[in-house]
Amino acid sequence: MHKQRVIELTLLLLAIAITSATAAIAALDDQSEIGWIALPYIAGLALLWFASHLALRRRMPTANGLLLPVAALLQGLGFAFVLRIDSGATTKHLIWSAIATGAFLSVVIGVRSLKVVRRAGKLLGILGAIAVLLPPIFHTSTSYFIPSGFRIQSVYVDLQKIGIFCLIIFFADWLASYRLRNTAEHFGEVDRIEGDPSRFAPLIGGWLIASFLLIFNFDTGSAFIVCSVFLAMWWVAVGRAVDLLGYLIAVALSTLVAVTTVPEMHTRFQTWLNPGANPEWGDSITRSSFALAGGGLTGTGPGGGSGNWVPDVVDNLIFVPLAEELGFIGGTAILSTFVLLLGVGFRLANGASNEFDSIVTIGMTIFLASQTWSSIAVALQLLPPAGHSLPFISLNGAALVVGYTGLALLLKISEGIPFVPDKTQLLPQIRLSNRSPS
Amino acid sequence: MSKRLIHVGVVFLALYGLLFFRLEWIQIFSAEKLQNHTDNTRQVTMAFDQPRGEIRTADGEVIAQTVAVSGSRERLRQYPYGSMYSHLTGFISAVNGGSGIERNFNNFLSGSDLSVRIQDNRDFFIDRARTGQVELSIRHDVQLVTRAAMAGQNGAAVIIEPSSGAVLGMWSAPNFDPNYLSSHDLAAAAADFITLRSSTDQPLQNRAEFLTHELGPLFTLVTATAAIEADLLATEAKHELSEGSNTKATSETAISSCIQTLSILLTKQCTNQWKALGEQIGQSDLSSVAKRFGLTDVDPLRLEGSPIGNLSRGALDSSPAAAAIGENFAASPLQVAHLFATIANNGTRMQPQVVRRILAHNGDSIKEFAPKALEQSVSKETAAILMDALAEKTRQDSWPNLQENGPSIAGLTASRLATGDHIWSAAIAPVTQPEVVVVVLLEGDDQFNRDTADATISAITGRIIEAVLRLPSSNVGSS
Repeated sequence: MHKQRVIELTLLLLAIAITSATAAIAALDDQSEIGWIALPYIAGLALLWFASHLALRRRMPTANGLLLPVAALLQGLGFAFVLRIDSGATTKHLIWSAIATGAFLSVVIGVRSLKVVRRAGKLLGILGAIAVLLPPIFHTSTSYFIPSGFRIQSVYVDLQKIGIFCLIIFFADWLASYRLRNTAEHFGEVDRIEGDPSRFAPLIGGWLIASFLLIFNFDTGSAFIVCSVFLAMWWVAVGRAVDLLGYLIAVALSTLVAVTTVPEMHTRFQTWLNPGANPEWGDSITRSSFALAGGGLTGTGPGGGSGNWVPDVVDNLIFVPLAEELGFIGGTAILSTFVLLLGVGFRLANGASNEFDSIVTIGMTIFLASQTWSSIAVALQLLPPAGHSLPFISLNGAALVVGYTGLALLLKISEGIPFVPDKTQLLPQIRLSNRSPS
Repeated sequence: MSKRLIHVGVVFLALYGLLFFRLEWIQIFSAEKLQNHTDNTRQVTMAFDQPRGEIRTADGEVIAQTVAVSGSRERLRQYPYGSMYSHLTGFISAVNGGSGIERNFNNFLSGSDLSVRIQDNRDFFIDRARTGQVELSIRHDVQLVTRAAMAGQNGAAVIIEPSSGAVLGMWSAPNFDPNYLSSHDLAAAAADFITLRSSTDQPLQNRAEFLTHELGPLFTLVTATAAIEADLLATEAKHELSEGSNTKATSETAISSCIQTLSILLTKQCTNQWKALGEQIGQSDLSSVAKRFGLTDVDPLRLEGSPIGNLSRGALDSSPAAAAIGENFAASPLQVAHLFATIANNGTRMQPQVVRRILAHNGDSIKEFAPKALEQSVSKETAAILMDALAEKTRQDSWPNLQENGPSIAGLTASRLATGDHIWSAAIAPVTQPEVVVVVLLEGDDQFNRDTADATISAITGRIIEAVLRLPSSNVGSS
């Protein structure tokens, strides 16, 4: 078995242990209604993770061994909390987890090479643009916590996130081709096109989408996600400092225009700055703060938190019960886990075998990282209220599916990266070789 | 490309650093402030269906209790007297937190306070549900009398025992039935709460404690105090007497003419005299006296143990003339009762208290709220002068509904106010040995005939005083 798979299996077992322990502590609390009924659900999750693990063993034995366990740990923690706060949702959570694993497996098994994905880039670009632009036109969103999209039973399918996912692939394809042509120009293989305006195309496109989301979707979080994903990919591939400055100024102006002229956006900003004045909307913000403050440094312990008292706590604000019950220490640990995911993504982007892979990796990594950031930032009152699921943790099946699909793409890319052992692991070998000649 | 990757990485690390810092800020640095925030109903919500102690009146009536029920939740909070004690007990709800005693004394009722949790040595080792019972200084019979007297009126009434500061009765109308808010039918409870909250006559508002109204003529007591202390009334007296009927010679001492003048001033409510007096006293002296009576405290006057609730601070009108007659100066009925109780208690200001003690499961007292003297607001002599003046005025006004051999009353009413549609009445009885202070506030002055408004409110006040003084256990509060 390849070393990465050993790491993966070990860490997966650890993730199962942590999930079970968290669920068990919550179950021991005498008020909770959960007991042994939690067991089959955790077993089901473990089964899904092992299926993913086996598929990786067979199809991509050399893929990175950290990504799956990190996602599994987050998913398991989220499950342990959903189990207690909304025990009726566990079956639904498991079904969506199965669908997510299905999506994961179909990418792992079905996609032979990322070239296939790249070839679909233009189609995905069109679909993505429709998915991003469509929801606000029909005003499908009724509450600021519900993302624009449609719902399957109680799960809101955030069409825009799926759209951004598709656009990442399209944009990576465009940037990789652009770089290729620039390189060819540089070496004199093709004629230079003077005053080429095409370098502005991604900037203008990104700005238009961000402004659209701000003005028609009233959503600073989505605009943040779009901007950070596109800026990161663009900066890594072709970015110029002057263009970056211009872009940032343009987005800032759009935000200003949206806040001052769009009433809905104005209300959101007012609520954000002074949540007490608008109890209907501000409750989620103030209650989040109160719950977090109640947790303090060490937290109330799993099962000891205020649970449903904070609105929408199993989906968009799921970070609140986590940090309330696990405390600042636990909240920091969860944040660190996401930082770890970010770090692995950057390492993969750095070592990817071709430019398209590298740019897709950075796009996917930042996609997950910025979703995480905006979801937690809303809970911590750093962003105006908006609905963003926390990747892998939230009880939002659609977000889970998107997350796992992205994860599978990252794993696919990591497969081609040669495994380089750390220098620390070389040290004992040197010592051994010194001793052996005797 | 790797260098640019590092740029992006650094930016995102900085963004995550912001999250770390913000999380630390909320959970560690400002945690205490957020925990004590007025809007924070987290604790009381979490205690909703936990074991919970009773709330009792001083004469032993249970006004809030937790009973065992069958269903998904094992316990239900009940309020046997419905809306009668709604603003005192408050409510506890699974969705909307709580209010009143239920919220302010949640630590004791739910047993999260250490003194309640550890009731004997075994409690260190056995984890069992310990709850505390809260005993109020409120008396059920006084509350019944108050409710009867206030029937059909919107407003508030506060009955205080001046010697101890104990609140014997507190009524605020319109009110609500907390049983509906504590229901296990969460959707119905939430809908009820929204209806109550958005209702224009604010039934959730405890008018007695947290709603302020313009004081008007009641404030002249403060002006009079300032005038006595500045020794201004002697000259005013001559002025007044020369203007008025020349029936009496001013041969008495300065003090005795003060009394006379004061009673005349109070009686006639002659606005111009008061304004002139205010000019002479000046803004700073007026506000210093008001502060000593607890009217413009930096920290607004509160019942012992009730840190939660919004009460705006009183602020004197910038011109001393307007301030002297209480224009634009608002206070709550509890504050007014506190002012009169201080005068009745020889000028010593007692902390108003609504909770007498916390009892353990076996009836032992865990915590006593003993009467607490805050300060000597005014000298005994000044207080005595004010009492005499009030009594004299009440005699001249001949309050209705006072029987010949009824208790002697020293009181004051305030109607025909410049702003607001409300009337005040405050009274101390009996004059010689004050046992009770009653303050009544009626809203909707425009509905009254202006001439009969005074009669209506003094009738209500008189009815409460007479009944309270005749109640068999009238000394219970002073134990």
